[in-house]
Amino acid sequence: MATARPVGARNPVAETTHAIRERIRSDRRLAWALALVVLVLVILLPYAFDPASPFVDHCVTALAYVVMALGLNIVVGFAGLLDLGYVAFFAIGAYTAGWFASAFFATVNGGKGIHILTGTLAGAQPGIHLNFILVLIVAVILTAIAGILIGLPTLRLRGDYIAIVTLAFGEIVRVVAVNGQSIHLGGTNTLTAGRQGITPIDSPELPGMSAFSPLDLRPWYFTALVLVLIVVFVNFRLRDSRLGRAWIAIREDEIAAASMGVPLVKTKLMAYATGAGFGGIAGAFLASYLNTVNADQFEFSFSIFVLAMIILGGIGNIVGVMVGAIVLSFVNVWLIPDVLHDVPSKLGLNFDLTELSFGIFGFLLVIMMVLRPEGLIPERRRQIELTEGVGTDEALFEVRS
Amino acid sequence: MSTEPVPAASASDPGDAVDAILSATGVSKIFGGLVAVDSVDFKIPRGAIVSIIGPNGAGKTTFFNMLTGLYKSDRGRVEFDGVNITNERPDIITKLGVARTFQNIRLFGTMSALENVMVGQHARMRSGLFGSIFRPPWTRREEVDVREKAEETLKYVGLRPALMHQMSVNLSYGDQRRIEIARALASEPKLLLLDEPTAGMNPEESARLTAFMRKLRDERALTILLIEHDMKVVMGVSEQITVLDHGEKIAEGSPQEVRHNERVVEAYLGSREARAVQAED
Amino acid sequence: MEAAALPVRRALRSSVGTAIRKFLNRYGLIIALLALPVYFGIHDLVNQHSLTHIFENLKDGVSNGAIWALVAIGYTLVYGIVELINFAHGEVFMIGSFVSFSVWSTIGLTLTTGALGVVFGLIVTLFVAMIASGSMNVLIERVAYKPLRNAPKLAPLITAVGFSFILQNVGLEWYGGSQKGVDDLIRAQTDFFTIGGVHITHADVLAVAVTTPLVLLLAWFITKSRLGKAMRATAQDPEAARLMGINVDTTISATFLIGGLMAGAAGLIYALYQTTIWFFQGFQAGLIAFTAAVMGGIGNIWGAVLGGVIIGCIQQIADDRMGGGTWTAAIVFAYLVLIMVFRPQGLLGEETREAG
Ligand SMILES: Nc1ncnc2c1ncn2[C@@H]1O[C@H](COP(=O)(O)OP(=O)(O)O)[C@@H](O)[C@H]1O
Ligand SMILES: [Mg+2]
Repeated sequence: MATARPVGARNPVAETTHAIRERIRSDRRLAWALALVVLVLVILLPYAFDPASPFVDHCVTALAYVVMALGLNIVVGFAGLLDLGYVAFFAIGAYTAGWFASAFFATVNGGKGIHILTGTLAGAQPGIHLNFILVLIVAVILTAIAGILIGLPTLRLRGDYIAIVTLAFGEIVRVVAVNGQSIHLGGTNTLTAGRQGITPIDSPELPGMSAFSPLDLRPWYFTALVLVLIVVFVNFRLRDSRLGRAWIAIREDEIAAASMGVPLVKTKLMAYATGAGFGGIAGAFLASYLNTVNADQFEFSFSIFVLAMIILGGIGNIVGVMVGAIVLSFVNVWLIPDVLHDVPSKLGLNFDLTELSFGIFGFLLVIMMVLRPEGLIPERRRQIELTEGVGTDEALFEVRS
Repeated sequence: MSTEPVPAASASDPGDAVDAILSATGVSKIFGGLVAVDSVDFKIPRGAIVSIIGPNGAGKTTFFNMLTGLYKSDRGRVEFDGVNITNERPDIITKLGVARTFQNIRLFGTMSALENVMVGQHARMRSGLFGSIFRPPWTRREEVDVREKAEETLKYVGLRPALMHQMSVNLSYGDQRRIEIARALASEPKLLLLDEPTAGMNPEESARLTAFMRKLRDERALTILLIEHDMKVVMGVSEQITVLDHGEKIAEGSPQEVRHNERVVEAYLGSREARAVQAED
Repeated sequence: MEAAALPVRRALRSSVGTAIRKFLNRYGLIIALLALPVYFGIHDLVNQHSLTHIFENLKDGVSNGAIWALVAIGYTLVYGIVELINFAHGEVFMIGSFVSFSVWSTIGLTLTTGALGVVFGLIVTLFVAMIASGSMNVLIERVAYKPLRNAPKLAPLITAVGFSFILQNVGLEWYGGSQKGVDDLIRAQTDFFTIGGVHITHADVLAVAVTTPLVLLLAWFITKSRLGKAMRATAQDPEAARLMGINVDTTISATFLIGGLMAGAAGLIYALYQTTIWFFQGFQAGLIAFTAAVMGGIGNIWGAVLGGVIIGCIQQIADDRMGGGTWTAAIVFAYLVLIMVFRPQGLLGEETREAG
């Protein structure tokens, strides 16, 4: 059997956490109160640090990763479709910002540029410059379309083939990004700037917020926080909805689901589209925050990085996925490079720990899947599906063929 | 037609005069070299309770799967309520008004009884991505209605209210059968297909289910198609019986007619069911 | 009127659609596969009035394809028996290359070693590399897949990806992050002979000369030996195999072992052929080989060989003629998607899979 964990063994820590979780689950007001406390703390957090401190920087990145992980959670956690090419949506979202919020298309409109609702900074430059909110909206639309286009051909496939085809799509997007300099769009404009990167990207200019700059990261932080709140809201709403039930049904038994009137294609595509949309939002935000869109950012390993967040936190569990995303992004941007980097040399070993980060994530995936596939904070259903083998992998198209 | 014409009895005549809710013509399914269903013609009169019987492996479930869109038929045509549903997608067929249960129960294991039945109403619900996310008043109302209707349906099939929120994997076999029927009913079908619903039930439970089927037909104006092994149930409840053997329709008619049909007795000869058929005399 | 006309038109459209779909299902993949060689063949004929160039590409494709075939066999055997994409298989192949280089360095093979010494040394290297990759594959199976045999398919696939990252990191620490040049022991690019202007090099001969006997041996083993029969029985129906007294666990491990052995051999050939190795070689090789396995029809050894050769040709043409190889990955992946979508059963696979 999949789990060798002793069932009867009494683990005081596990029992206490279980009791706390049951308490929170059964008491909605307690849950809301806790959420509110956490939110207040999170809002106050950046004021405890220097506005340009590395910690706030790490937090902004972590929040952007939360958006991505929760987007992927809709596809993998809810609908049960293993997507190994999620980086494609990060890329498309980032390029949306690169195309529509920078001087990249320098010759449009006779070199005068196109400006829509932009502030004073971007307003004077050539290229296409849309307001940040518009960029996000365009990113959602483009990535949702991409999600559907990538999703469509996978719908007739079994679960593991879906994983490989999405991976292949992710790689195709990366190759196009790398070689985009040789794809000419008329004039001197090309599709991407390849490994050189499109830079700089406009910083958001939003009414009522102080200037977005590298010297004051708080506006970035709060923007990212708002995006997180949106994606959390959407995750919760979708989970407890007609669509959410349909996703569970499909992932547990798609033949029964179809027989109960759930249209498989449409329902799966909705998961792809919404998941992709959040990848796009996070991508556009990160492009703006990092001030560059570089083809090297879109490697396959990034897809696995985001997947590892979900697996670590608890596949399908919204709070778990957030925790997983925050933990892994701090491991990636802080723990390994800043804290543990000199451990090997102290031990007399000669290697660079940052090189190992993806090996560490790989190790994490193996360990988690073998020992605790349901993650740190399990989702109840997923736990049962993963450990007790409830549900079937049988696909409708196979039976119908 | 290869089938021997059975002397028609007016009550169960499947001829053109009767208003058929479903009609299949020349339906066939071939797996590799095996002809699982061999050009079967079949009609269900509206409002009737009709059975398909036959030895194991006769092709009954395969035939069901073609009616409900799980299998594509290799030949033939299926019409439901005047609409051609041949090889149509299962969800579309369900939306048109055909619901089913499975021989090996296929509930959504980690869902509660209630949620299972709520999924059954999927085709009758409207809220999409927008409604699911923003939950406007009409979506809220729909959710409330769907939940109430699920509760009501579960009560109707006789599930103890205490079990409604239990995860369905943890429930007893009999309760799972009930939930599966409730889930099918929740899609508001005109035609209900039950694949061996009494399998694993004791005679008492079977009798109760038989009564329930009649009640369903009368109260909900349903037409019911039944695959059944238990001859007592079949003979007691069916107005028309179709017998399949090796994928072929070998007889059709009222219980009386089928019971005395030579080919049927032959097909069942020696088997437990044969004795059951005779015992009914 | 309209109501009457509509179904007719719909029926007509669907019958034309069905015919087109049937045609594409049967020949679409073959057409797509022939597109590149035929296009460039005509291109060469028109511009250079000779087919030497395209034949050179195809020759390279066949010898490269021999490597992919060996790797693809690992995917196909494992998928055939446990329905799992052994995602770490590309890295097992990479480890084969790495082990090969370190073995031949250790036993002292250099550019100055005499021919006999090189042959003998490389045979030793081949054995060590095969055994190293084979045991690595068995280890992966035991640690990462076996505990998850009853879990949803998604679970072992994730551990497979995890293992592939771990092994990449092993490779990274072993020989560093950039491509590492290795001794050109066999003088890979020297002509063995020339035929019709096409240069057959040492590397080509090596690839074909190692792959052919291995594949024949394997095919014989699978059809004739007890273990091979057990493997086929387990692939058909594990439960029935168990009832027949076959030790399913051993059989599965043996399958991983054989797949690993082939990947190890491929690793050695690759190192000698390319004269460079690097920790990331397994990722793309793995995907190319997986594409080959699916193209040939998963579970089918000869399919893997056929797929390997075809994908090798496509890859060579893309490398040679399209943006200096920058588009190759995208082209191979595009083929992967096309195959998966339009002919998931592959070229030699059965028309349909029947699910219970
Ligand atoms: N998906 C399938 N693939 C191959 N053979 C099948 C499939 N489904 C059913 N069969 C075969 O078709 C025949 C009829 O099966 P079935 O319809 O289940 O019989 P019944 O329900 O009457 O017992 C059997 O021989 C069975 O093995
Ligand atoms: Mg049956």
